Amino acid sequence: MSDATLILLLSTVTTGVMLGVIFSLVAVGVTIIYGSIWMPNAANGQFFLLAALFAWSASVSWGVHPALAALLVIGASVPLSYALEIALIRRFYDVPNRNISYFVLSLGITQILSGIFSITYGVWSDQFRIPPIVPGVTLLGPLPIANNRLVAMAAAALLLALLFALLRFHRYGRALRAVFQNRESAALRGVDVRAVYRMSFILGNAVVFAGGVLFACAYSFDLTMGWTMAVTAFAIMIIGGPGSVLGALVVGMVFGFTQALVSIFASPTIAAFSYLGAMLVILLIRPSGLFAR
Amino acid sequence: MSLLEARQVSVRFGGLVALRNIDMCQNANETLGMIGPNGSGKTTFVNVVTGHVKPASGAVDFDGVPLARCRPFEIAGAGLSRTYQAVRVFRELTGRENIATALVNAACPLDADAVVEATEWLRLTHRLDARAGSLTLYEQRRLELLMRLVQRPKLLMLDEPVGGLSSVEVRSMIAVLNELKARCTIFIIEHTMKVIRELADRVIVLLAGEKIADGPPGDILADRRVIENYLGSVDA
Amino acid sequence: MNAGIRWWLPYACFAIAALAVPLLLSGNRYFAFVAGMTLISVLWATGMNLLYGYTGLMPMVFAGIAGISAYLTVGLVAAGWSFWPAMLVGSVVAALVGTVLGLPSLRLRGFYFTLCSLVIQTVITLAFVYFVNLTNGDTGISQIAPPKLPGGEALGGLAYDVVLAVLAVIGVVVLAVLVDSSFGRRLIAIREDEGLAEALGIDVTRQKLAAFFISSLFAGVGGAFYAPYVGFISPRSFDVLVSLNIWLMVAFGGRGTIWGPVLGATLLAPVPFLLQDYYTIKDVVYGLLIIGVIVLLPAGLVGGLKHLRPRPAPAAAAKAEPAQ
Repeated sequence: MSDATLILLLSTVTTGVMLGVIFSLVAVGVTIIYGSIWMPNAANGQFFLLAALFAWSASVSWGVHPALAALLVIGASVPLSYALEIALIRRFYDVPNRNISYFVLSLGITQILSGIFSITYGVWSDQFRIPPIVPGVTLLGPLPIANNRLVAMAAAALLLALLFALLRFHRYGRALRAVFQNRESAALRGVDVRAVYRMSFILGNAVVFAGGVLFACAYSFDLTMGWTMAVTAFAIMIIGGPGSVLGALVVGMVFGFTQALVSIFASPTIAAFSYLGAMLVILLIRPSGLFAR
Repeated sequence: MSLLEARQVSVRFGGLVALRNIDMCQNANETLGMIGPNGSGKTTFVNVVTGHVKPASGAVDFDGVPLARCRPFEIAGAGLSRTYQAVRVFRELTGRENIATALVNAACPLDADAVVEATEWLRLTHRLDARAGSLTLYEQRRLELLMRLVQRPKLLMLDEPVGGLSSVEVRSMIAVLNELKARCTIFIIEHTMKVIRELADRVIVLLAGEKIADGPPGDILADRRVIENYLGSVDA
Repeated sequence: MNAGIRWWLPYACFAIAALAVPLLLSGNRYFAFVAGMTLISVLWATGMNLLYGYTGLMPMVFAGIAGISAYLTVGLVAAGWSFWPAMLVGSVVAALVGTVLGLPSLRLRGFYFTLCSLVIQTVITLAFVYFVNLTNGDTGISQIAPPKLPGGEALGGLAYDVVLAVLAVIGVVVLAVLVDSSFGRRLIAIREDEGLAEALGIDVTRQKLAAFFISSLFAGVGGAFYAPYVGFISPRSFDVLVSLNIWLMVAFGGRGTIWGPVLGATLLAPVPFLLQDYYTIKDVVYGLLIIGVIVLLPAGLVGGLKHLRPRPAPAAAAKAEPAQ
């Protein structure tokens, strides 16, 4: 195989993995929230963007080291989620058909954030780039990869592994899965359902924030990323099966590779078309998703 | 020709067999009862007949017409109505609007005078302007009946029509149903013999998806298999 | 129609107000423009009300359909057609497209239906951007000429506003007629309890399709008239936020009532224009209102008022009736 082809192949694979872990992270965050409190969070894209923008502000405007900025931003998501939960989310826990109220609510949040961003960050810059966590480049065979990308990729993969471990082995994870299945029987088994709800909302958003921050560490971005990410995350969640963390992971990786492949041949718009088309097909044929229980 | 006829109807939900080879028939003006413990398949049977569930095998004919490929609204339009175990009315609409909705798609509805008469018979005249959800359970059950009546069904399948009523209301409802028999053919599902005994000409007994008895109430009460498997454990 | 005394009174008042406002504002072109945009919003909100308020479906494709009509009408006029037949063709074609696109999603309920229509809306917007040959992409089409009247004159200023007012009034009257008819009764039944509606003999799918088509006609007619009025269209003019904001007008004003969406449109449509330099805050304002409606005012303004009317006490009446 010639060097050029090998580089292309390696580049596609690494981009696929990079995008895949980020997509998976965000999709897992969204599906945790949907599976537990039945809230489809359309604002996930704007949260993703918010995290990236905060990290940018912290590292560029305040000169904080990007790694520290990342941790700060993810940490900041906890009180933010908590406040949101108390103010808006909590009141719907016992309402039937709350998923559609939540959905529209999250669309409202999306519109607010999108508006705020265009009058603040949108005025300051078109493109945003965070200084690298680790400068320099590593060679993977003939392919040079920026170190900050490697670090972001590794961090994201580590986070996914930790999440999996949490859900499978930790007491909270078992409680969450019990609530996913059936909240009444979980309550009967002594699970504090409302505490699980709160934890899930905070955890889910924190994961989305993490995704945003890590993406920003690896790539430059602009404000439209909020909308594209929201569409992608929803497509992944619907196709993988709402509430299915495994589905989010698998479909997320597939999407990552698809995007990497498609960008070689065609514009990102085509990729978006294909995501939306796939989501429509699943919605119409098998709404419970591919990995449904 | 019988009004309703089912031949070898079987229904499977995943691995679970809900109904197995059910044969039955009901003639016009004959009141048929169906009893069985919870989970024996009674409501599933109604769902099959009304088109909400597709049987794995078997056929159902209504008034000589096979119902195989009919959609629920077509079956209702052909004169086969049903009510629900948990009473179901348009809770946010007034009684008057509920009845108007029932009239709007009826093939041969009652005329205005007959509607007024039926409303008075069911003692709902003064409750027509209240929100249906604010009516008492007994009033809602009567409203449910009225909504079917104004459509002039040929056959009305009642799924546990006395569920949730006090004993006084049950007596009252049985009297109502006895009069209802004169207006259209009825098929009653219940899980206690008490109600069925007073109303039905014939009773079908279901147990775990199978028909174990079919005959007049007197015979059913004396049937050993029925007593062993069902009546013995339930206060009939 | 209602047998109440002078049932036509509110409609007459609305017609007079709708016609008077542009007349009164004709001195100030900017305010007259705001009035015109509000009238188009009234038409759109009324159309969406048919689906959302009376059938219970939240169609996020609404703006996309308006866009299809707008682009198609502009294209036909550019090809030499007169505006009026172009508008008719554009609206009907857009309505057909909307109905066809809506077909497969009819089986979906609640959130899944909304999500599906949101996806279709996004696809439509992407298509507007992507097919640059047809739509000029993100750059948009500008300097759209106003429609020509039969005499050859262009429809300008005040006359255009009057046409829009007439459209809005016709729209409201059409909705009122539909709602009062047996069609309206079926739609309300579907909104309240689809399964029960079906059990009562209503062909739910056919009614939904009809509602889709009519609602899309409202979208399409509005879109066709929007393009020359504003003079400029782009994919952004018909994207998902626009659908969401029309929904807000319906929900805020009071879905399922005739006048709620009219009120909602009248209050909310001028907001971005009156904010002038702070135009970009419109998104924040609308977003906050959306949250407000969901959390505080699910029945909207007019719906909330209805609950204040005294009702006969049900419990007392029930106790008065002797149980036999």
